[in-house]
Amino acid sequence: MINLIRNENMKIYKRKRNWILIGIVVLFTLIQFVNLRSTGSVPAQEDWRSQLEQEIAFLKLEMNEPDALPVELKQAQKSILLNQYHLDTDLPPSTNTWSFAVDQAGNLMVAVSFISVIIAGEIVAAEFIGGTIKLLLTRSASRTKIYISKYMACLLFGLALLSIGAVISVVLGGVVLGFQGLGSSYLYVQNGVVEQTTIIQALFEAYLLQIPFLLLTVTLAFMISAAFKSSTFSIVISLLVAVAGFVIATAMNGWGWTKYFVFSHTNLTQYVLGDPSVTGMSFGFSAVFILLHLLIMHLVSYPAFVKRDVV
Amino acid sequence: MTVLQIDQLSKKIGRKTIVDGLTLTLNKGEILGLLGPNGAGKTTTIRMIVGLMSRTAGRIIINGVDTKTDHAKAMNSIGVIVENPDLYKYLSGYDNLVHFARMSQGVTKQRIKEIIALVGLEHSIHDKVGTYSLGMRQRLGLGIALIHKPSLLLLDEPTNGLDPAGIRELRAHLIHLARQEEVGIMISSHLMSEMEMMCDRVAVLQQGKLIGIRDLSAMAQTDELQVRFEVDRPEAAVQLLQTLTAGLEILRDNDHIVLRIAKTKIPELTQKLMAAGIQIYGVHTLKPSLEDTFLEMTEGDKAR
Repeated sequence: MINLIRNENMKIYKRKRNWILIGIVVLFTLIQFVNLRSTGSVPAQEDWRSQLEQEIAFLKLEMNEPDALPVELKQAQKSILLNQYHLDTDLPPSTNTWSFAVDQAGNLMVAVSFISVIIAGEIVAAEFIGGTIKLLLTRSASRTKIYISKYMACLLFGLALLSIGAVISVVLGGVVLGFQGLGSSYLYVQNGVVEQTTIIQALFEAYLLQIPFLLLTVTLAFMISAAFKSSTFSIVISLLVAVAGFVIATAMNGWGWTKYFVFSHTNLTQYVLGDPSVTGMSFGFSAVFILLHLLIMHLVSYPAFVKRDVV
Repeated sequence: MTVLQIDQLSKKIGRKTIVDGLTLTLNKGEILGLLGPNGAGKTTTIRMIVGLMSRTAGRIIINGVDTKTDHAKAMNSIGVIVENPDLYKYLSGYDNLVHFARMSQGVTKQRIKEIIALVGLEHSIHDKVGTYSLGMRQRLGLGIALIHKPSLLLLDEPTNGLDPAGIRELRAHLIHLARQEEVGIMISSHLMSEMEMMCDRVAVLQQGKLIGIRDLSAMAQTDELQVRFEVDRPEAAVQLLQTLTAGLEILRDNDHIVLRIAKTKIPELTQKLMAAGIQIYGVHTLKPSLEDTFLEMTEGDKAR
């Protein structure tokens, strides 16, 4: 089994094109820094108090608009509470490397997922298209083992890419903003109250608890690849679903029906660093709901892959 | 010793029967050809043996192991070349070998070296397979099929697209493997002259059914052959031959005389002709080609 996964890894990493894909994620992380520098979101100036007060007034105005979406109300409320907290405790808000890396996790996860989808969409289909499937399946390894090793290789690729992005975020953040602040705390709003946790804990939570998004999109691409032998179909559909899912889950955040929309569950940080998108959702419910989706996808692709006649 | 035993193998897709109750055995060190027109079920048969296609009925036993009960063990002793040598083009030849070596137990680095030398790819083994010629890819494909020292080799149309030199090289490899290493080889091809040159036996398939097995070595030795003599005095030669062969049909065409005799009689007849002072410029055996046999068998089947 380990040898099979090594084979899959070899086929991924010895291909020049895939290094371009990895390069795109690196580039994406770098662009986030350009963003940070140009917007200069570090208002540690003398007048930070008046700035925050202005912001609160503006947000309150926005909330009174009749066509405000639930997600806008939520965000505004959250920002007001955080700003008020800074005013009350007389601590100026500041961005350091670590809190920046925490806030990066969501964006990075989406970028990593998009790239991983390309790998997962090809990993089975390319063997059929190239004809190599005939060699692969006429060895002593069972089809089940081949299937599992390919799926594992996709997930490992996604996780590796995520780690690369996270490390670059921290290292580059350190170069730009300095490495201080590791002992600081991370502020978040839960149940209408500002809470805090250590920055290290927030960092781990942000990166680990958003992995379900990666898991779901990669599995979708893998399913289409294994069941329908088409990499184009697989990559296009998976990217569309990933984009639509992400956008809908973000925009429709708070709407009741999204309780049964899987992309509203893929960010599990909502249970530890905030409030669930729909009141009444629990961590357990989300976990089961995601696992159910993964299971159904494998129930489609696994039998198709194992039973297919290779012509 | 039997390396492959196929018993009542059938494949149906929908209402169509692709392979119909095929029973065959292949011995150690033997080269068996599968011959038949397109759609006869050759490829399907090979794909069922190697597990690329499921079967509707029947048993396949490789070295005493049923492929259904212990797929992994059965597959470990077979090497496969299915049609074109499709390999990972973006990997080097060496990485391709490593890839498949990892999929079998006990393949050492030393073995990989041996294989590279065997197929003669020492100079280009670290180049990307995408840069290889078809002949080189075919050689690498053979190397991959042999890397785990299989005792049974299955080849489906391996000569497709190869140039004459490539075909010749492959044939030499296969004959060497069968004779020296006692590998059992099953090969499907539509090139009958090819089959004739390397197969010990040929199984003829038609519409999924086995319609006959021909022992080619026997065909060449015991059957009567058409023999053509080229002489300076045909009339005298015909007269002499008529008395010698007692009323056998003798055809004459200018300086050529054609008659049907056993191969073993050729030396005797030439000696007698020479003794009678007839100059012989040439003796040719016109053996019934596999093509004739094949047509005979398939036509005969249609007539029934």
